[in-house]
Amino acid sequence: MKISKKIVLLGQFGVGKSSLLRRFLENVFETDYKPTLGVQIKKKMLDLPSGDKLSMIIWDLEGFMAIAKARASYLLGSEGFIYVFDVTRPITYENLEQELDFIALKYNNVALQVIGNKCDLENHDIAKNHLEKKGIMVHSYVSAKTGEGVQEVFTDLAKKLSK
Amino acid sequence: MVKEEDKLQMLRDILLVDDRQVANAVNQRLDVITQTIEERAKLSEKVDPIIQEKLDEFVAEIPVTLGPTITKTLKKEIANSQDAVVEALYPIMGKMIKRYVQNEIKVLSETINKKVNNTFSLISLKRKMRARFTGVKESDLILAEANPPAINEVFLIQKGSGILLGNHSTTETVDKDMISGMLTAIKSFVEDAFTGGNQNLENIEYELYTIHIQNFYNFYIAVVVSGNYTRSFESQLENKLFKLSKKLSPSVSHLSREETDSFLEKFFKK
Ligand SMILES: Nc1nc2c(ncn2[C@@H]2O[C@H](COP(=O)(O)OP(=O)(O)OP(=O)(O)O)[C@@H](O)[C@H]2O)c(=O)[nH]1
Ligand SMILES: [Mg+2]
Repeated sequence: MKISKKIVLLGQFGVGKSSLLRRFLENVFETDYKPTLGVQIKKKMLDLPSGDKLSMIIWDLEGFMAIAKARASYLLGSEGFIYVFDVTRPITYENLEQELDFIALKYNNVALQVIGNKCDLENHDIAKNHLEKKGIMVHSYVSAKTGEGVQEVFTDLAKKLSK
Repeated sequence: MVKEEDKLQMLRDILLVDDRQVANAVNQRLDVITQTIEERAKLSEKVDPIIQEKLDEFVAEIPVTLGPTITKTLKKEIANSQDAVVEALYPIMGKMIKRYVQNEIKVLSETINKKVNNTFSLISLKRKMRARFTGVKESDLILAEANPPAINEVFLIQKGSGILLGNHSTTETVDKDMISGMLTAIKSFVEDAFTGGNQNLENIEYELYTIHIQNFYNFYIAVVVSGNYTRSFESQLENKLFKLSKKLSPSVSHLSREETDSFLEKFFKK
């Protein structure tokens, strides 16, 4: 059987949402920055252990300053969120607590994965310490550039959703 | 002591002399007034034409001398109350545009009717019969015949998520799941833009296609139509989709993608 699930990529401007998606789908990386306007929608078919097919319909949103400012209608009907921050820019994770509170309040049923990107550039200890102190669970620290950890970001979420 | 006689004199003075003086003064005044009136009449005879002339000159010069000031004031007034001006003009403009378009369509339809009248053939006879029996204007039939509307694709899409629940298409093209997501994003973007409440996007036109959108409770249906999307086709399609939703709504949430697809295929083959 074929199952479709909507997944949304969230996070501030330029944290690497589109780059992560391109790495996952096409296994490529580009250094120049082309901001996403509005939303871009992609699809990935995965074979599930049960023999079913899962088609992940992935909505790559334009960056925002806070999730409360994102277009709410784009978030409707989602089953998974991937919240991306940039380990090299504290501004992209300093308010994560409020962001996650907002998600817990408004999108209680949506599976959520928090991802730290651009690990190739800087040691991610600063970000990690900061977030651990606040008790925020980060799924993984990855790099769209090297590809490290990128597949798992999506496949782990797919596993969660197909349970 | 005042004598009796003096008293009488005084009384007479008060009563008569003063009286006469008053009468005199009044007479004098009357004379002055009469004179003034007469003089004014005489003057007016002479002056009136001059005033009239000046007045004419003044009126003729208003646009030149006062024009810029008036225009400036008006402009300022309009700028300061744009909403009010738009409010006032909108119905008039709307009517004008509507009338213009109606007229253009009438002209077009008349030209076609003329052509119809000039060409007499078996086909046009048939068409005439059809127009008579169906009540559809003959010219509309011609328009439709030239490029008949056809259903190319049907998308049954979950509201909100934009997940494709079912699809029927006569062509194998781009990824249907992505199209249905993008359509939903466009739809919600447009609908968000109208903050005035429950506005629904019902039509998208692109190049040679029209996408007809019809909303139901949990899903919406998008139909890609090629060819001439006429009013009569639109209402036929609407009725068809109402029928479809009646049949499908109770089971739509537990049908699989494949089941929905084959349901759509059967439904639109008919
Ligand atoms: N070094 C390095 N650069 C990255 C990485 N991921 C993304 N970038 C760069 O960061 C910039 C922004 O990446 P995007 O993927 O466009 O970011 P985005 O989050 O989609 O941005 P918006 O669509 O504007 O919200 C680009 O110049 C990328 O090349 C990474 O892992 N390492
Ligand atoms: Mg992007």
